[in-house]
Amino acid sequence: MMRKFLMGAGLAALAILPFASITAQDEITTVCLVTDLGRVNDGTFNQYAYEGMVRAAEDFDLETTYIETQAQTDYATNIDTCVNEGNDIIVTVGFLIADGTAAAAAANPDIMFIGVDQFVANPLPNYVGLQFREDQGGFLAGSIAALMSESGVVAGVYGIDIPPVVKFRNGFEQGVAYINEVTGSEVTALGVYIDDFVAPDRGAAAAEQFIGEGADVIFGAGGPTGSGGIAFAASEGAYVIGVDQDEYFTTFGAGETDGADRIISSAVKRVDNGVYLMIEAAVNGEAYPETGMFVLSVENEGIGFAPAHDSDVPEEVTAQMEEILAGLIDGSIETGVDPVTGALLSEMEMMPEATPGS
Amino acid sequence: MAVAAPTINEAAPAGRKRIKITRTLVFSILFVAFGVWLILGAINTLTPETSTLLTFGAGTPDLPVPTQIITLISGIYYAAAGVICLIMAQQRLRTILLLIGGVLLIPVIIIIAAADASTNVTTLLSVSLRLSTPIVLGAMAGIWCERSGVSNIAIEGMMLTGACNGFVVFTILSPNLATGEAQLVGVIISILSGGLMSLLLAWLSITYKTNQIVAGTVINIMAVGITSFIRREVLFSSEAGRGTLAPWPIPVLSDMPVVGEIFFSGRPIFYMMFVLVIVTHVMLYFTRWGLRTRAVGENPRAADTLGVNVIRNRWINVFIGGMIAGLAGAWFSLETTGSFDDNMTSGRGFIALAAMIFGKWTPFGAFAGGILFGFSDAMGQRFQFLGVPIPPQFLQMVPYVITIIVLAGLVGRAQAPKADGVPYDKEGK
Repeated sequence: MMRKFLMGAGLAALAILPFASITAQDEITTVCLVTDLGRVNDGTFNQYAYEGMVRAAEDFDLETTYIETQAQTDYATNIDTCVNEGNDIIVTVGFLIADGTAAAAAANPDIMFIGVDQFVANPLPNYVGLQFREDQGGFLAGSIAALMSESGVVAGVYGIDIPPVVKFRNGFEQGVAYINEVTGSEVTALGVYIDDFVAPDRGAAAAEQFIGEGADVIFGAGGPTGSGGIAFAASEGAYVIGVDQDEYFTTFGAGETDGADRIISSAVKRVDNGVYLMIEAAVNGEAYPETGMFVLSVENEGIGFAPAHDSDVPEEVTAQMEEILAGLIDGSIETGVDPVTGALLSEMEMMPEATPGS
Repeated sequence: MAVAAPTINEAAPAGRKRIKITRTLVFSILFVAFGVWLILGAINTLTPETSTLLTFGAGTPDLPVPTQIITLISGIYYAAAGVICLIMAQQRLRTILLLIGGVLLIPVIIIIAAADASTNVTTLLSVSLRLSTPIVLGAMAGIWCERSGVSNIAIEGMMLTGACNGFVVFTILSPNLATGEAQLVGVIISILSGGLMSLLLAWLSITYKTNQIVAGTVINIMAVGITSFIRREVLFSSEAGRGTLAPWPIPVLSDMPVVGEIFFSGRPIFYMMFVLVIVTHVMLYFTRWGLRTRAVGENPRAADTLGVNVIRNRWINVFIGGMIAGLAGAWFSLETTGSFDDNMTSGRGFIALAAMIFGKWTPFGAFAGGILFGFSDAMGQRFQFLGVPIPPQFLQMVPYVITIIVLAGLVGRAQAPKADGVPYDKEGK
């Protein structure tokens, strides 16, 4: 049934294509989004990408459609459906859909492709991958953790040690080190990688161990595993910091869940801003970066920290955080973390063979 | 399984003696090597000033331990015990020496790992016990099923279904009911969902005599699909986190230092673990039902001849096992995290099977196995943040390495119920 429908759609598109391409070649009027497994309201980057697209569509008067991917085997089919419907921009979400997106971009040079969380190995003029400076987010989280800690111990519950997570961790520990250097405090940063992004109970166990070691601020950066850690830590009275989105609204139910007054911030990745900016660039006819990737950082508001909401973060701390953010933006503060691998630059100097690009 | 079981039984008598000798030998050599490694490490890398500070939580004094001396003494013990085991043939002495070595291993590792630092022993133990809750419950579920002769590798799927359905019902009810009441209903739904999945297993494997491994695998795969579908359909609109079951500190007892925090400050399902271990033990060995269950699991034909309804016994035991697995699922979503995520049980149902086999299908043995796995998980995390100079990937393997060592070390002695996994055919073949 579905296949027949798709074939029909494909044939129809073929029939229309010669006429459509004449009118739509230069002007951008339609955007199509293909999600990773999940839906456009699932509270993950699918939702944020969708929100970015909708915001751009309102501002630039575009028509939007989306396809929710049900199985990994459907990635290519869903992209093809977007192509055949004659869309001008196609947004694909997730690392796993990158191959399909790259292939579709090569085959359809007239369509602009935006890939969230995608590393582009072979740059094309019509394909851009969104990358994030998680190390800056971690740095901000580490700074506020060190500023808020009274016990002198802070800790992080991390997921699998893939580059984005390593960037968060090393950024966090560098942020703590930075505050130690500036204020003369002696805050220790503990942390564990847990080999599973979906083991919130093990995240909670790690948080409990950290609290036993005296930690009073816990940073969770590892999907549900990290969220499980901060939910537990908050219920035990520790300060917590979320990741990716403002977890005050998700993990803590916008203030309804116990411990919602303990979340002091979140290291936020603005997927929506990335999608918005790249749609804007396409609409204005601006070329995508030659590297094939658009990096979201503090400079373009792609990385930031969430407000304190119900927690008792003093104004001095918030002011200091704004200063650090400004320092990261103007380059006077550096995270000391390699933006690709997430390794500490100080350690990479000792191992020259590990430098990127070699 | 049905085909493989008799082959194992035939092969066992011939191979047993040789395996037994090898195991002692291997353990003895491991002990000697470990002892020598400890002694060398103590001399080369530790100084007399190095000390480990063991802390026990608020209100208790800290205990400084001289790391080098402890390491040296334990190293000498392991080396000596290993040599004695190699030379002397007396089985009882060997067993005692190896057992002491095994028990000693844990404090020694903690003290060495935390050299020049402090580490909180109380939280390590309480976290271990908490992490072992779903494993022990899963193992109990396995015992109820397998003692009656139905192998249940679908514990994982039953847990996952329980975790999902209980949490979904709790989420739906929570606007209208008090949190505690909604949670209670959620836990009951978890238990029933686990039971429902087990009825499917019973139907396939008892009534239709399907291969039980295949039936179990089907249930595991189906559970992943159903629960992620339910999560997508129901939870997204209200995917916000929820409160967890409130702790139930036991009056007076929970105020005791160390012990109070470890045993008496838990949450409801944590206590249910202890209750169900005892209940399972009493059921198996001190009730008529237990006697019949063991008979059905060992020799269903004999039991049938004596008038025991084999099919009915198996159905009921499998159903009870499934309900216990459902309760273990509620531990994940309702008691610990206040959320449900796809596949959040992440393999603990299978670790529970290993714990059950470790305990040779006995409740207390499986309990010990479950605690061992919970402890190794907690210890793997602790190694990481104590800065043990081993890559985290290896430390994360600790629970699985222990699984392999434990199962390899005991597999020669682990005896499954004779009729485990063999469908009973009343007509006889």
